[in-house]
Amino acid sequence: MSDGQDTGRPEFTLVQVADTPSSEDDLAPMFTAPVTDGKRHRNDIFRPGPGPMVEFRGVTKTYGGGARGLDGVSLRIGTGEFVFLVGPSGSGKSTFIRLIIRELRATTGEVIVGGRDLSTLRRGKVPYLRRAIGCVFQDFRLLPDRTAAENVAYALQVTGHSQKDVRRRVPEILALVGLDGKFDRLPRELSGGEQQRVSIARALVNHPRLLIADEPTGNLDPETSLGIMDLLLRINRTGATVLVATHDQHTVDLMQMRVIALDEGRVVRDEESAGYHDETGEALA
Amino acid sequence: MRLGMFFREALRSIRANAAISVAATVTALIAVFILGAFIPSFMYVRSAVDAQTAKVDVDVYIADTATVPQVNALREKLDGLRTDGTVAAVTYVSKDDALRIMKERLRDPSVLDELPSNPLPAKFNVKPTEAENADVIVAAVKDDPALDPTEGIVYPETTADRLLTAAKFVQWAGFILIGILLLAAVLLIGNTIRLSIFARRREVEVMRLVGATNWFIRWPFMIEGVICGLVGAVVAVAMLWGIKVGVVDAWAAGADSALTKTGSAAGTIAFPLLTLVLVGAGALLGAVGSGITLRRFLKV
Repeated sequence: MSDGQDTGRPEFTLVQVADTPSSEDDLAPMFTAPVTDGKRHRNDIFRPGPGPMVEFRGVTKTYGGGARGLDGVSLRIGTGEFVFLVGPSGSGKSTFIRLIIRELRATTGEVIVGGRDLSTLRRGKVPYLRRAIGCVFQDFRLLPDRTAAENVAYALQVTGHSQKDVRRRVPEILALVGLDGKFDRLPRELSGGEQQRVSIARALVNHPRLLIADEPTGNLDPETSLGIMDLLLRINRTGATVLVATHDQHTVDLMQMRVIALDEGRVVRDEESAGYHDETGEALA
Repeated sequence: MRLGMFFREALRSIRANAAISVAATVTALIAVFILGAFIPSFMYVRSAVDAQTAKVDVDVYIADTATVPQVNALREKLDGLRTDGTVAAVTYVSKDDALRIMKERLRDPSVLDELPSNPLPAKFNVKPTEAENADVIVAAVKDDPALDPTEGIVYPETTADRLLTAAKFVQWAGFILIGILLLAAVLLIGNTIRLSIFARRREVEVMRLVGATNWFIRWPFMIEGVICGLVGAVVAVAMLWGIKVGVVDAWAAGADSALTKTGSAAGTIAFPLLTLVLVGAGALLGAVGSGITLRRFLKV
């Protein structure tokens, strides 16, 4: 961000840790920047409309051998929401996420993302779906033989951006997630928190309107985790829908966002402005 | 097409997986080398067989007692076979010519001087257009009144048949061998590329997760395969060139060598053309090998 001007967005004061970018930069221009590249528009497969960003209608996912990933889940995640998905291991969080990016297909029921029913989405369109969704994983999933900058650049090249575009946008977005001066480091030369920032930068660089994070802080220390959550929240403030699957009780309690709790493939709680535990204080994890 | 970028990606991948790239290149080298040694050898054998079958000709001997009209009638019969394409050429060899040829062939021609008269009959030397046609010629003239009763028609029946069988065998064996070689090469290169992809299947998974289309992932791998195939082919061609200059040409240069006697070097493929074929084959092997292998990794 060259200007660093505040655009009147409410000041975000929830978390302030040393790991966050020092400049109080504004992510909004990254998302409201005019779409000049025709290809991006063509690649955009989300159907415009006021509907929810993600909708599950009676979704059941059964794995081979009869194991149930999800069991009759129905819910909606509105555009611009910030949602925590919580629950113990094996409760179906990963299945939920993998259904949204069409790594898996629902056994029964409908998964609708950005107005598109994924069960009828042609296989050839799946790459375009994934470009419209930013993904962040617990294990970062960076390409190990590429530098931070090259990892982010790859996501841009995939969508057909010119070298010029890549050279301009990669440093911008890396600076934005607080990785100034580390563009040329390989993943193994970066700390866990830094690697996760690279993966967030990669997820953001195509201006996704839906950002999904699967245990993004699972491998990070608490302080670094807060820095990452801060980043995700600021991204959400720019209008992107953010879905975070997590075990991180402390962060969920602190942020008081919508919490969807899964257990054995069912939604056992769905509450606005909630903490990690339900009202009775019973632990879910 | 973002060819430049795919090319850079391919080079990066070759560098990152040097050992596997070397293995693929060596596989291509061996395949192309065998192919490159086989093609001219096969063509040489075929040209030798062709040369032999071309020598199958039919001698129609004329009786000393035959009248001029009888001989002319026989000649017209043979000329008729030439116009319908069965026969390539008919040459009349007189009794004197026959004796002269015999003298030239003998180590000691003086023995013929002892003869009271010329015992050799005149003949028509008939060259069939195809060795198979010899039978047709024989059938057409075998009852002719002008034929010499003792000599009749002479042609190397069994030699011709054997040569024909050999020629067909060489041809089919050649095609089948080349087919097997190419298939083996494709599978070997495919296997090598599979190792390369297997080593990077997490990487491919990540590429898919950020929304790379299958072709976007496939191009660099295919270019990688083509580069390995090309490098292997170029080295193989260099080795073949060395063998050609150092061994085959030297051998063929010997005037009495079996090579020049039984077949002709002209009947085999020219080296520049062979180079072109081999380099093309190398590139194709690489592309097809990696292309086939990738299909299995890009599902879903």
